[in-house]
Amino acid sequence: MSPRRGPARASTAPVEVEPEVEPLETVGEPEEEEVVGTDRPWLVIVWNDPVNLMSYVVFVFQKLFGYSRKKATRLMMQVHQEGKAAVSDGTREKAEADVARLHAHGLWATMEHPS
Amino acid sequence: MSLTEPEAELLRNIPEELRPVLEAGRDPDDPVRERLFPRAYLDPTEDLAEQEWQELVHPELIRERLKALERLAETLSRATTRKGRVEIEIDADEAQAWLGALNDARLALGTRLGVTEDLDQAELPSDHPDAAAYAVYGWLTWVQGDLVETLLG
Repeated sequence: MSPRRGPARASTAPVEVEPEVEPLETVGEPEEEEVVGTDRPWLVIVWNDPVNLMSYVVFVFQKLFGYSRKKATRLMMQVHQEGKAAVSDGTREKAEADVARLHAHGLWATMEHPS
Repeated sequence: MSLTEPEAELLRNIPEELRPVLEAGRDPDDPVRERLFPRAYLDPTEDLAEQEWQELVHPELIRERLKALERLAETLSRATTRKGRVEIEIDADEAQAWLGALNDARLALGTRLGVTEDLDQAELPSDHPDAAAYAVYGWLTWVQGDLVETLLG
């Protein structure tokens, strides 16, 4: 059996942070990113891989996202020809759930902000 | 589904070979277990979110995939042999479990062999040390393709 090599358990515990006593000096306007940061949408990306069958990828897109055969096929071809395709989007929670469902079906999926 | 005895034996071996790999979960230093359990976030600044996501999702991912393996073993165990052929009836639900188990087996084997998209088995000499494994991989690919076609209708 291979040893488990997961991340150190202790690091998952909530980190206690000393409350700031001194008020922080604010320099200039808050950066734009801070304002919109929490609401920025996430894209779910599926990457090309040499193992998954084209027909199987179409099947998974239809099953998980309810896409038509046509849309699922178009996305599969994009993955195949361009190396990747954005297959869904949404909040962090939705993207995390979609990535998990894609992984459950053996597809190579990640999530990122649109560039 | 109608199989030869060696084909049926090959499928029967999948659960016991794959179970310890899945149970062990993700390992970034092991290409097979890295492929079976990829990261969700590529951005290293999201490492904390990645860690929380893995802790939340991976136990369920492992459970689901082990269940598919059990389902494969169950259906195989009720197969009947007729005139030297192994005959198995599987319903749509079982076909989904087969699809998951076969895909995981192909991911594991394909990653270990380092298969490429334009893999041509014919180019592999029969005395190549991986020739048998490539043949198994090719056959699993064929079975999976057949199952997908059936499910897609």
